[in-house]
Amino acid sequence: MRDKIISFGFVVFISGFSLLGLFSKDQDISFLERRKLVTVDTLEEDFLNNFDDYVVDQFYNRNSFLKLNSFYERNILKNKEYNNVYLIDNIIYEKEYPLNIKSVNSFIKKMNTVKDKYFPNQNVYYSIIPSKSYYLDSKKYLTIDYQTLEKMCQNINGNYIDLMNNFNISDYYQTDIHLKQESWLKAIPTLAKKIGFNYYPITYQKNVYYPFYGASYSKAMEVNILDELVYLTNELQEDVIVKHLENSHNKLYNILKLGGIDSYDVFLNGASSFIEITNKNSNMNRELIIFRDSFASSLAPLLIPYYDKITLIDLRYINFQVLENYLNLNNQQDVLFLYSSMVINNSSTIKVN
Amino acid sequence: MVFSSITFIYYFLPIVIISYFLTPKKYRNYILLIFSLFFYTYGEKYYLILLFFSCFFNYIIGLLISNNQKKSWLILGIIINLGLLAYFKYVNFFIDNFNNLFNLNINTLNIVLPLGISFFTFQNISYLVDVYRKEISCQKNVFLYLTYITFFPQLIAGPIVRYKDINKELVNRQESYSLFREGVNRFLIGLGKKVLLANVLYEMCSSLQMVSSSVILYWLLALAYTFQIYFDFSGYSDMAIGLGKMFGFNFLENFNYPLIATSVTDFWRRWHISLSSFFRDYVYITLGGNRVTFLKMLRNILIVWFLTGFWHGASWNFILWGLYFFFFLLIEKLFLLKHLKNKFFSWLYTFVVVMVGFIIFNTTNLNELWLILRKMFGYQTVFINMETIYYLKNYLIILIISLLGMTSLLKKIMLNLKKGKYKMIVSSLEIISYLIILVFVTASLISNSFNPFIYFRF
Repeated sequence: MRDKIISFGFVVFISGFSLLGLFSKDQDISFLERRKLVTVDTLEEDFLNNFDDYVVDQFYNRNSFLKLNSFYERNILKNKEYNNVYLIDNIIYEKEYPLNIKSVNSFIKKMNTVKDKYFPNQNVYYSIIPSKSYYLDSKKYLTIDYQTLEKMCQNINGNYIDLMNNFNISDYYQTDIHLKQESWLKAIPTLAKKIGFNYYPITYQKNVYYPFYGASYSKAMEVNILDELVYLTNELQEDVIVKHLENSHNKLYNILKLGGIDSYDVFLNGASSFIEITNKNSNMNRELIIFRDSFASSLAPLLIPYYDKITLIDLRYINFQVLENYLNLNNQQDVLFLYSSMVINNSSTIKVN
Repeated sequence: MVFSSITFIYYFLPIVIISYFLTPKKYRNYILLIFSLFFYTYGEKYYLILLFFSCFFNYIIGLLISNNQKKSWLILGIIINLGLLAYFKYVNFFIDNFNNLFNLNINTLNIVLPLGISFFTFQNISYLVDVYRKEISCQKNVFLYLTYITFFPQLIAGPIVRYKDINKELVNRQESYSLFREGVNRFLIGLGKKVLLANVLYEMCSSLQMVSSSVILYWLLALAYTFQIYFDFSGYSDMAIGLGKMFGFNFLENFNYPLIATSVTDFWRRWHISLSSFFRDYVYITLGGNRVTFLKMLRNILIVWFLTGFWHGASWNFILWGLYFFFFLLIEKLFLLKHLKNKFFSWLYTFVVVMVGFIIFNTTNLNELWLILRKMFGYQTVFINMETIYYLKNYLIILIISLLGMTSLLKKIMLNLKKGKYKMIVSSLEIISYLIILVFVTASLISNSFNPFIYFRF
């Protein structure tokens, strides 16, 4: 009898889950993993190649299984890292290790190539935004050697702006790799002092989006962290025109992105190769060009009161050779290379050759 | 299609089981054949025709041998089987080595290794030899022969099931709830070994290979890789044996706790038994075994271990791996075996030899291999560093579980408990633990962890 029950139980269990998966409505997006899921229409394209992905993506109660696996690795196997992230005191740290010397050298070479081509006779500034792992205890967790990174980057032909000491771990989102926008307010005086623009404090209205699930949240699969995202607005920003190379969005913030796959895209509408932000009513005769990654998306809206125009260039999405078609250079612009240590350590994505 | 996939566990398997048991007994082999061919096609669209050719060819040669007992048919059969294997698996290896040796520039061929060719080639050869030796009668029903070769539990990565071991079950077998339940348990144990242990150990090996080295780190890597390959391959064999039982077949065991062996000789009696017994029965004994002069016996052992290494892959590290074991088997045969008295030290010696062996197995670049081997013994390497301590702590639990899993301790405890007065409770807990394994395996597979089987590449 026992054998019969187990035999039938097994078959009912496995066939039951397959039927539940097949007859449940397909989910298009996994918010937990921040990605699109494979849906049934892909089977029409190539059944044999897509079926595996389809049944995995549309497995019944998929999110519970994802969390269970995280539980297995983190709580049973006691792995400190899961999916390349550490979870410590409700803060998710992306593991950044080891220091990729080749990548750092390549990054330096790329920045110098950009400077030599477009700004041969100008002062340029550069700064490194440490990733959250900078604040980890290096005796307990694997982190890159930031001192070595900083020292190596001194080979960039520019003036270094040290922002590392402006921040602490609470300046970052708990569930995302990025700095909070309000944290940039602490760093702007340092930038102003070094670059030389005229700094004055500005009051902003805080707009809170809650709960915010950042990019790292999907890797940690941890449900108990309730993060929030604040974006800062004021009246000045209403006179700002934003022009993207790829799309027609013309505001500093796109609140429709809140609650989407990546809520951080609220800042400047997410990833974009080339953006011009023009301060309509300003006549300071001062422009800024930032070569950047996604960290600068939340900074730029806070710098616009100090400039007539800010140009943001993300060389991961545009080749530096074609920039001359879009850049209006006058040898007067302030130029800032602002990159996170994560991009410097994985610089193959930067399109400079 | 791999066993440890959502597609196999939740879609393919229930459909096969339900179709199989709803079909009248006399047609059940056709169900197995149809689904086995689908199983093969799912992973290997292009070589189904090769599989068919191989089966039909060996079926006909089997009939011819049976009819007139001519050795020439057997030789032809072996040549064609090995020829196919040589072409698909080794031709580029030979071209590369020819180019290097004679400074030539012959282009390598664009060949994809057909899934399971190393396994079904050996099954076919064993069938032909056994028919020739009159140990079995040839199979006259082509569909049955096709079912034997293509039966999905053992088609792609073994074990190398011999026809003479299942020919009776192929024609007349007794499925039962008891055997089915046994099969389910065995399948789930294999699944757990593969997904919950081997895949995590793979992650560990990948992490260790990326960080700066220390002596301890290299030994840790060797240990993790030994565990990984053991749980990966023995897990696959468990699943194959379990699936066989679900459909009424009893395959022979392929692993018998090899990592507790107390000599290299003992290790090879416990590791990949179907392969080592194939070489013993069809190569070693054919060459005269040990009933020959000492020098000839030496030659026979050398041939067997050269072939064992080469079977695993068309690369010099595999040949070296085979010869490495030849060396230890030889010194054990000559004098060492009789000195291996202390169980712990014998085990330790064997385990270290096996671990170093798997480093050879895993490193295709010989320069890199030489560097790793030297570093394992302290050449220009610190003894221990921060990264090593970090990874040792991080993967300590999985290493402890692996250490336990390589022994028969848990199995013995369960058997003893089942005999005691709490046997009902123990049995219930056993069922729950199998269910937990299935649920955790599902969770891991959905999380897209690393999954391919190491032995698929052979």
